[in-house]
Amino acid sequence: MTERQYTRREILNRIGWVATFGTFGGLTAASVRYVIPNVLYEPSLIFKIGRPQDYPEGVDYIDDKRIFVIRQGNLIKVVSGVCTHLGCSVQWAEERNRFECPCHGSLFNARGQVTVGPAQTPLSWYEVTLTADGRLLVDENRPVPFQRTLSV
Amino acid sequence: MRTDARDLLFQNRFWKSFVRKEIPVNQWLRTKILGLGLINFYLFVILTITGILLMFYYTPDTERAYQGIKDLEYVASFGLIFRNMHRYAAYLMLISVFLHMSRVFFTAEYREPREFNWVTGFVLFLCTAVMAITGYILPWDQKGYWAMTITSNVVTSAPVIGEKLKYLILGGNEVGQNALVHAYGMHVKIMPLIIGLVMGVHFWRIRKDDFLAWAVWGGHLDFKEGETPPAPQGPEQGPSLWQDIIVRELSKFLLILALVMGISLLFNAPLEEGANPSVTPSPVKAPWFLVGMQELLSWGAPFFFGVLVPNVMIVLIILIPYMDRGREGIGVWFHPSRRLANILFTAVVTVYLGLIIVGQFLRGPGWVFYWPWQSWPIH
Repeated sequence: MTERQYTRREILNRIGWVATFGTFGGLTAASVRYVIPNVLYEPSLIFKIGRPQDYPEGVDYIDDKRIFVIRQGNLIKVVSGVCTHLGCSVQWAEERNRFECPCHGSLFNARGQVTVGPAQTPLSWYEVTLTADGRLLVDENRPVPFQRTLSV
Repeated sequence: MRTDARDLLFQNRFWKSFVRKEIPVNQWLRTKILGLGLINFYLFVILTITGILLMFYYTPDTERAYQGIKDLEYVASFGLIFRNMHRYAAYLMLISVFLHMSRVFFTAEYREPREFNWVTGFVLFLCTAVMAITGYILPWDQKGYWAMTITSNVVTSAPVIGEKLKYLILGGNEVGQNALVHAYGMHVKIMPLIIGLVMGVHFWRIRKDDFLAWAVWGGHLDFKEGETPPAPQGPEQGPSLWQDIIVRELSKFLLILALVMGISLLFNAPLEEGANPSVTPSPVKAPWFLVGMQELLSWGAPFFFGVLVPNVMIVLIILIPYMDRGREGIGVWFHPSRRLANILFTAVVTVYLGLIIVGQFLRGPGWVFYWPWQSWPIH
C-alpha cells in the first residue's frame, strides 16, 4: 500500500476550498437563523378579561382576543374562536346553536366539537380563573379538557 | 432617411448578440412564434417599474399599510393607475407564464437539449406564484390577512418542519407586524433577486439552444438525432429578417403596455376592508388564482390537499422532460404520438380550472355550495 503524497499546493488548495464553502455555507446558515426572531412582541397568551357579571347568559365574543366567553347560569367557560383547520375566526350562529367557520365550512357544536369537517380537532377550551380583583383570567397556554368550567 | 434610422436602431450588434453565429431564422420563426416568453418578460418589466413606484407610498406596517394603499387610491396623483397596472400586469403574467408553459408542453419543446430550461421555466412559474401570494398580502386588507393566516397554517401541516417553517415565514407565532415585514421582504427583495438570476439562466439557455425546436426544424418531422437540421427554406430568407422579428417582438411590448393601461383605466384593483383579526368575513375568498387551492383545502386534511397534492404535482411537472425521453413530435403542436401526455396535461389544467370556478362562483357563506341562481342567506 503506497501512501499518497500530497503536495503543499494541493493541501493549500483544499484548505482554500473548504474555507470558501465553509464561509458561504456558514453565512447562508447564519442568514436563515437571523430572520428567525429570538424575541417576540406579541400580546401575552395570559390575559385578563372582564368581571363574571359582565357576561350575560349565552355566548359572548371577545373581538381582540378571538375567544368566546360562554355563561350558563353560574358556570363560565372560555372557548377559542380560532378554527382548528386553518386558523380563521369562527362565528357563533345562535339560531343554529353552533360555531361556523367561513373559510372552509367547518362546523362545531356548542361545546366546540367538530360536527362537519374539514376541521379534525375540536375548538380549544382555555383555563379560566378568577383573580383577586374579581376579573376573569384566561390562560391560552393551558387548554383544558371538555366540561371543565368555572363556577362563580 | 427613415430606413437608416431604423437600421441603426434594430440592425446592430446588440440585437444580433441574442443569437449564436447563424440566425436560425426561417418562415416558422417568422410566422408561427407566439412570443409568450418575451411577453412574460415585458410584464416583468412593467411590474418592476410600477412596483418601485408603489414603494414610494407603501410602508410595511400593520397600522399604515392599508392607509398607504388608500393614499395611492385617493391622494397620490396617478397612484390609482399605477396600483391598477401593477395588479393587472401581475394577473396577466400569471396567465401568460402558464400559457407559455402550456405552449412548450404541447409542442414538446422540453425535449433534449432543452430539459433544463423546462426546469428553470417552471421555477420561474413558481416564483411568479410566490410573488402573487406575497403581493396580495401587502395591502393588509381582509383578503390579504386571512390568506396569510390560512397559508401559514397549511404550512404547519408539513411533517417535521411544519411548525418551524410557519415560525420562519411569520417571524413569530401570529400573523402580525413581523409577518407583514417578511412578506414585504420576500416580495420586493428576495423574490425579484431570485427571479432575476433564474431568468438570466433561462435566457442564456435559450440562446445556447438556438431558440425553439421550431426554428431549427423548420417544421420537419423526420429529423433524427445527430442529423443536421434541414436548411431554412422559402423566399423569405434575407439579412433583414432578424431585425423584422426584433421590431415585431418589441412592438408587442407596446401592445402589452397599452392593454395593461387600458384595463387599469377601466377597472380598479380590488381592495377589501382593512385587516380585522377578530372577524373573518363570510365567505372569505382567496384571489382567483388561489381559490382553486382553497376549494381543495375545504375537502379535508390540509396535509393531504395542501402539502402532499401540490408538492407531488410540482415534482412531477419538474421531472416531465426527464421522464418523457421520446424523440417524436418535437416542435409540433399536438403531435399524435403524444396524445396521452397532452390529454393528461389538459386534464390536470381542467381540474384546477374547475376548482377555481367552483370556489369562485359556487361557494357562499360558510363555504356552502350554492348554484349561481340560488341566493345567499342574509344572516
